[in-house]
Amino acid sequence: MTPSAPSLRGLRQRARAHFTDGSRRRGLLVAFEGPDGSGKTTQRKLFKTWLKAEGYDVVTTKWNSSDLIKPIIRSRKAVRALSPEEFSLLHGADFRHRVEQVILPALWAGKVVIADRFLFTGLARDVARGLDLDWVLKLYQPLLWPDLVFYFAVSAGTSGKRILATRTPRFYEAGQDVTEVEDPVESYQRFITRVIREYESLALIFNFLTVDAEQSIGDQHRQIRDLFRQGEKRPWSDWNADAVAEWLAMGGGEA
Amino acid sequence: MTSLTGRKPALIAVDGVAGPAITAAARAALTSIDRAARSGVSHWDASGLFEELAVADADAGQPSVRTLLLLYAADLAFRLRWEIRPALAEGRCVVAAPYVDTAIAFGRAAGLGAAWLSNLFQFAPRPDARRFAGASARGSRSHMSGGFVEFGCEHVAGAANGVTRAELMDRMGTYLRARSRVRSAR
Repeated sequence: MTPSAPSLRGLRQRARAHFTDGSRRRGLLVAFEGPDGSGKTTQRKLFKTWLKAEGYDVVTTKWNSSDLIKPIIRSRKAVRALSPEEFSLLHGADFRHRVEQVILPALWAGKVVIADRFLFTGLARDVARGLDLDWVLKLYQPLLWPDLVFYFAVSAGTSGKRILATRTPRFYEAGQDVTEVEDPVESYQRFITRVIREYESLALIFNFLTVDAEQSIGDQHRQIRDLFRQGEKRPWSDWNADAVAEWLAMGGGEA
Repeated sequence: MTSLTGRKPALIAVDGVAGPAITAAARAALTSIDRAARSGVSHWDASGLFEELAVADADAGQPSVRTLLLLYAADLAFRLRWEIRPALAEGRCVVAAPYVDTAIAFGRAAGLGAAWLSNLFQFAPRPDARRFAGASARGSRSHMSGGFVEFGCEHVAGAANGVTRAELMDRMGTYLRARSRVRSAR
């Protein structure tokens, strides 16, 4: 629950003081974004290993992975029972729960949080499903902005090839709920084209760090390390004060 | 409430604090409609997601008010798709109990911003008529079962922020009564 206005101000100040205290390493939030088959997960694992070797305390969180909401989403996906709105709202709930239970506690403790997909995944997919960007973005308020967003850019063709090399796209992954195309492969190509278009708009709006995901794995990894080294010196974003204050009001940060 | 004689399809929203009072008011609203035009009552948790939430492992952590309202909105989207819109499309009258105001009152009472709540429920059509199930907050506290608000009070995280269950229900009642008065005055 959110506190009344006067205490909210105090909690914002507490959040600022904590995250701008130069005497200790502050928590960093790094998001890996991109379409399916862009190689995010491979890069995320390499990045995590490297960070740990560099002495960072690292926590990973994946899209649609909260212990509370994931089972609810999974059972509905299995019977193909979700409309675009329900799909969006349930993923928003899953995200919020992870922000409160996993991401903010780890950031508060000074850890690096690697998010394998972040709210931009929700935005790109939901808008590709025909929902309004402004409506979806507001569902994720109070917004928690990552310190760095790596966007793994691939063409729809490459994404499709990489996915099809291992499996047939699943119903929602292929966007069959909105394309109404019976063939999952054809549906996937249509849907991922829309998703990539949305991602590219978001990359411009939100200033993502674009990684050419058609490069070799090693080249991508080196680029990510360099970008991280430059990006970790960025100051804490005051835009995050509301999200942290709300979490503090719920008793967060007390341990 | 405007008399609904079944000439036109209509959505009747019944909102309030206490689950039993909302259920009783929904029943009364339904019986006020011509039998031929009646569809039924769309109750919260038609999608069953709160039932699943109730049996979730304790280690999964409790939802916050915000998370709970995102789930309520998902359930409402389900009710609209499978219960409310089909009834209206058949030219019938349907009662939604609770509808949007209960959830907004719950969120406001817990301190969430009006703009976020209003955006959240933007997809829900405006009801043709509204009823406020006006059981006192005190009464609702003695019936801690059955409704969305009771569920929320039982399962929500963040009791440490100082908003007690009694305060939350009192604030909700005040908010809904004020909304009801404003609408009557129009």
